[in-house]
Amino acid sequence: MSQNVLPRMEARPASRIGLRQSESILGYLLVAPVVFSILMLIVYPFVFAIYISFTDRVVGSEGNFIGLQNYFNLIQKPDFQASITNSVVMVSGIQIIKLVLGLGLAALLNQAIRFRQFWRGLILIPWAMPAFVAFITWKLLYAPQGGAFNFMLIGLGLVDTHVDFLSTRELAMPSVIVASVWRGFPFWVVSFLAAMQSIPKELYEAAALDGASGWRRFLNVTLPGIRHVVIVVILISTIWTTNSFEAVWLLTGGGPSNATMTFPVLAYYGLQSLRIGEAAAVSVAILPVVAVLAVIAAVRLQKEN
Amino acid sequence: MLDKLTGMQKVTYYSLLTLVAVAIIFPVYFMFIISLKTPRDIYRAPSLLPINATLANYQELLVEDNFLINIRNSLFVAGSSTAVALLFSSMAAYSLVRLRYLYRDWIGRLILFTYLTPSALLFIPLSVIIQRLQLGNTLHGLIFVYLTFAAPLSTWLLIGYFKSIPEELDEQAMVDGATRIQAFYRITLPLAGPGLVAVSVFTFTAAWNELLFALIFITSPNLQTVPVAISRLITGDVFRWGLIMAGAMLAALPVMILYYLAQRFVVQGLAAGAVKG
Repeated sequence: MSQNVLPRMEARPASRIGLRQSESILGYLLVAPVVFSILMLIVYPFVFAIYISFTDRVVGSEGNFIGLQNYFNLIQKPDFQASITNSVVMVSGIQIIKLVLGLGLAALLNQAIRFRQFWRGLILIPWAMPAFVAFITWKLLYAPQGGAFNFMLIGLGLVDTHVDFLSTRELAMPSVIVASVWRGFPFWVVSFLAAMQSIPKELYEAAALDGASGWRRFLNVTLPGIRHVVIVVILISTIWTTNSFEAVWLLTGGGPSNATMTFPVLAYYGLQSLRIGEAAAVSVAILPVVAVLAVIAAVRLQKEN
Repeated sequence: MLDKLTGMQKVTYYSLLTLVAVAIIFPVYFMFIISLKTPRDIYRAPSLLPINATLANYQELLVEDNFLINIRNSLFVAGSSTAVALLFSSMAAYSLVRLRYLYRDWIGRLILFTYLTPSALLFIPLSVIIQRLQLGNTLHGLIFVYLTFAAPLSTWLLIGYFKSIPEELDEQAMVDGATRIQAFYRITLPLAGPGLVAVSVFTFTAAWNELLFALIFITSPNLQTVPVAISRLITGDVFRWGLIMAGAMLAALPVMILYYLAQRFVVQGLAAGAVKG
């Protein structure tokens, strides 16, 4: 018996190694186009951007290596200083409101609500719209002439004269935040709701037996149950909100006088004025923040997939 | 969890939901009625109702303006990016899920990390690279650049879908004499159908909606995509809101219909943290 089995046992590992080898060649071949695209279109440009930011490159000339000069220049520029403060204020404002709205509405839809599918579909509408359409529509809503908000405010007698939401220093930032929240909150509600619905019912029943109130159950069962999803959504959304171009560019263009300037818009203007080195420095300056968020998000997502 | 609601709760909950519904619907409604108005009605006789509704804006946009060309450009760019991304990413995802080789996990990490890399960090170096490749101001260049988000996004999503398909099915097919490649396109790919639909919807809408790259890389009016053409309309001195909103409606309708049709898959994908936002 064993005499019979032995040769087969020896033969199998050999063919398996052959199979392994052809498998890994096939593996590399299949993954190559995506890896090549990523190296060519993301990794190389990424490194290239860092290099450009150390040069005084302009369109039509390679420029010279000038070390950190672009960064020193930037720190002293009012529009760059404004873009940092504005980005912090805008992103934290938008994210905090979306977090509260997202948790609240998801918890609401997680109750015994009729037609839950319908409400969820309705909430998804702003998200399903192209971002540029959403922000152009909000520009119209805010418009002093022909805009809906001014029509209603004046019609109700709340103001005497047209309010210029997007060109008034104090109002521009809140207006951008409101429009961004409108477009972005559905993603949070739907993600949180899906996470809430995957929490085992037994946990709620046990909590109810212990006499926990609705609010207690939310704090002790719901929140811990959706913690992972909440963290991932905050991280990913913060990366994209920080780098969002459309909202500011379409609504205010960064104005009035830098009141809503953010760094993607500033980098865009830099490219428009053909000073590539300086424009690259603007986007590279924000890189450390984005990189830290991306690493944490990547680690969490990898665990999940 | 699903306790019956008390009367008081019912009133509070449904009023809150109605309030949210109004906040969501009103901007869309306003966009629609303005698209049906002449400039005269918009400025001289503002109203929240579609008084004197006319299709003149749509007619002007589609007949007199270049808008049909813009739509064609957008369809070509979004369609091609989706096709290329789907081809590349289904191969890559299959390789990363089913085949074992050195550095596989590192390649997976690279793809995930690049999925999280925002375009705002890339548009400046890309503008230099695209110029150097003589692809500036071409739709092919734009398709190429759109792989920056389409390839990592669709690969990352498909990895999830492929993982949910039992590996034994592939192995069974190979025991029956199929090669690896055959197992891939005869077994895994058909079973991943819903996943491929969702990935196509995401990739197509992401490319259809893209503004920043298109704004930078396309300079000729007859090569402009829909988002660029519409955003160019708001940079003049006088905003022709009726025309702009008609364009916005035409730009939003295809993707909203796609989302509606694919809602089941899209919500799954959203829940997996699939979409940028």
